[in-house]
Amino acid sequence: MALLKLENATKRYGKLTAANQVSFEAHPGRILGFLGPNGAGKTTTIRMIAHITAPDEGNIFFDGRPVGAWSQQQMGYLPEERGLYKKLKVGDQLRYLAQLKGVSAADSKSRISYWLDRMGLTDWAGAKTQDLSKGMQQKMQFIATVLAEPRLVILDEPFSGLDPVNSELLRTIIAELKDEGRTILFASHRMEQVEQLCDDICLVAKGRVVLTGTLREVKRRYSRDKLALEFEGGSDIVSQITASAGVKLLEHKNDCCVLQLSPQVDAMAILDQLRADPNRKLLRFELLEPTLTEIFIKTVDDTA
Amino acid sequence: MVSPKTLIIARSEFMRRVTSRKFVILTLLGPLLIVAFLTVVVLIAATTIDGDSRTIALVDETGVLSTRVLALWTSDHVLVEADGSTVRQDVLDGRYDGYMLLPAEMIDDPSVRPQYFAGEGGGLNIQVQLEGRVERALEDYLLERQNVSPSVRDILDRNVNVDAVMLSSEGEEAGSTFSYSAIGYLMGMLMYITMLLYGTVVMYGAIEEKSTRVVEIIVSSVRPSELLMGKILGIGTMGLVQMLIWTLMIVAVQMFAGVVAGFFVDPAATGLAADASADDVLAAAGIRLPDISPMLIVWFLLYFLGGYLLYASIFAAVGILVESPQDAQSLMLPVILPIIVSIMFLGPVIESPQSSLAVALSMVPFTSPVLMVVRLAVTNVLWWEVLLSLALLGGGFLGSVWLSARIYRTGLLMYGKKINLLDVVRWFRYS
Repeated sequence: MALLKLENATKRYGKLTAANQVSFEAHPGRILGFLGPNGAGKTTTIRMIAHITAPDEGNIFFDGRPVGAWSQQQMGYLPEERGLYKKLKVGDQLRYLAQLKGVSAADSKSRISYWLDRMGLTDWAGAKTQDLSKGMQQKMQFIATVLAEPRLVILDEPFSGLDPVNSELLRTIIAELKDEGRTILFASHRMEQVEQLCDDICLVAKGRVVLTGTLREVKRRYSRDKLALEFEGGSDIVSQITASAGVKLLEHKNDCCVLQLSPQVDAMAILDQLRADPNRKLLRFELLEPTLTEIFIKTVDDTA
Repeated sequence: MVSPKTLIIARSEFMRRVTSRKFVILTLLGPLLIVAFLTVVVLIAATTIDGDSRTIALVDETGVLSTRVLALWTSDHVLVEADGSTVRQDVLDGRYDGYMLLPAEMIDDPSVRPQYFAGEGGGLNIQVQLEGRVERALEDYLLERQNVSPSVRDILDRNVNVDAVMLSSEGEEAGSTFSYSAIGYLMGMLMYITMLLYGTVVMYGAIEEKSTRVVEIIVSSVRPSELLMGKILGIGTMGLVQMLIWTLMIVAVQMFAGVVAGFFVDPAATGLAADASADDVLAAAGIRLPDISPMLIVWFLLYFLGGYLLYASIFAAVGILVESPQDAQSLMLPVILPIIVSIMFLGPVIESPQSSLAVALSMVPFTSPVLMVVRLAVTNVLWWEVLLSLALLGGGFLGSVWLSARIYRTGLLMYGKKINLLDVVRWFRYS
């Protein structure tokens, strides 16, 4: 059963409809990639889920019940715009934020020391937050998000501003959270990260959900209309192939090329053409799966 | 209104402030700063803007007044008799700073006025001094011309000063009105300063939370109204603790002032016994510390609480609407206007604390914290007046918290746009 369920959630600000009948589900033990260009309504939707604002229409259910103060206790939220109290000490600040989520003093103590250690911040526990580097503050804020062991973890652009080493650390931790059975809502406009991490995706544009489903299923929905070729000898064949109707050359480098095929083109005919010359050695013939970036751009363009 | 989370927030707001170095320094130096501030106010009021001494020429056409005026003249400024034909040029050349012309007709014709010609910058003080001396000289001359006996002059010089005694149900309480007025002023100013001080702390707290964006994390855990109340209560508690420390410091000063004065006042010279009490020494030295009744301190604290809660909630709403203290300036004015009005009416209310204006101002929640405390300090206020005023203040506070909580909820996630009062009114129309 879905832990989080949105039903036609709508939020208006004056004349602007920031979220328009948004519906989707997020399941335990899975990572939902919440995608959309800037200004698509991601943050608006997340704030409704986190019960910071209320939808004007529609419903948001957490564990089958409408969200409220009670569900805030079971969610951890890392906002895109990071912020912490500058003058509070790292340890004090984490304890305070955990307390606000209802974590007892004893529990917060052991959890804070675990996470500080995990993030390599143990030496900084007594330092003022403003003395930490931006990356360290970001890790600290991630700790604050997961301290209360939330069932739903909402991460809005969690990788922005992190170096490759820390990005890798965070990726590992997110995978662990998933394995522990937590539900993860991962909002981003960075497609390659989503593609690496997510099980499901929900794509929003202009306040509306334009695409949902498991990553695999979504990709399957889009045809493999790109052909990658690699061969040795007789590279003049490329111009022959592209001369035929419905074939467009996308990339060409030495003996490699990528072709865009119109639906009426038979890829197998091209294969036969390539094999016709015995002197030519075919190294690669692959019908490419569309990348999420391509799907994203295509879908957003279609809705525009 | 006070949930467990509110208390967590209040506790954190309180702790992080009282453990800061700023708090310790301000608590220790606060009374000094207030004393210094009041001293400067008194000094400015007492001294004239004229500053340095000026030389004024006196041109006497009457031929009878100048000697008397010069004899009466006691001032930092120099007065010399001068020749009327050249004096104008002398002033323009800078030899004199101004001159006073006494026309001959002024002796018998009251409609003829003496004239004071000032060089650069008049100086009201000089004019007042000259006027007083010339008037006196003229009176003396006219009395003498009528052969009036000097005893009549003494009669005219008689002056009556009233000793005020406050009559209360507990009995007569002797004391000069000056002393009561002083306590009234002190209490009023103190209320004004503390409400503004702690209200501003709340506002800066809200601005910090918004500008650092930490507010979004906080409201993903607690309701905005809980955050608002926790902040107000935490900082208010800090204020009370600070004032408690200050009160203890004042008590300590009162206890030791006599001992300290003892070092400077020789008991023998004042005819006191060597083992005279501190109070006696102070009395002998002419120093009288005003007595502040414990009940007045209780009233002060109650009204501080009410007034602080009222203003702090509004200050918090202002803070959450802006992203920097600079942006807060324009929104601050309507908020602090009622406090300034309270201070403007400080004098009139002390003057006539039972007037209907004074009673009305001590009922209005925005002005009652300052002005009811002032009334309580200088007069006997009917008990139902105090109760009604406190009830209205409580109601005003509940209303302002309700209003501020709504502004807080809408304002805390608004960035990038400068918000004015009109926008706020519009929000309420929408919601």
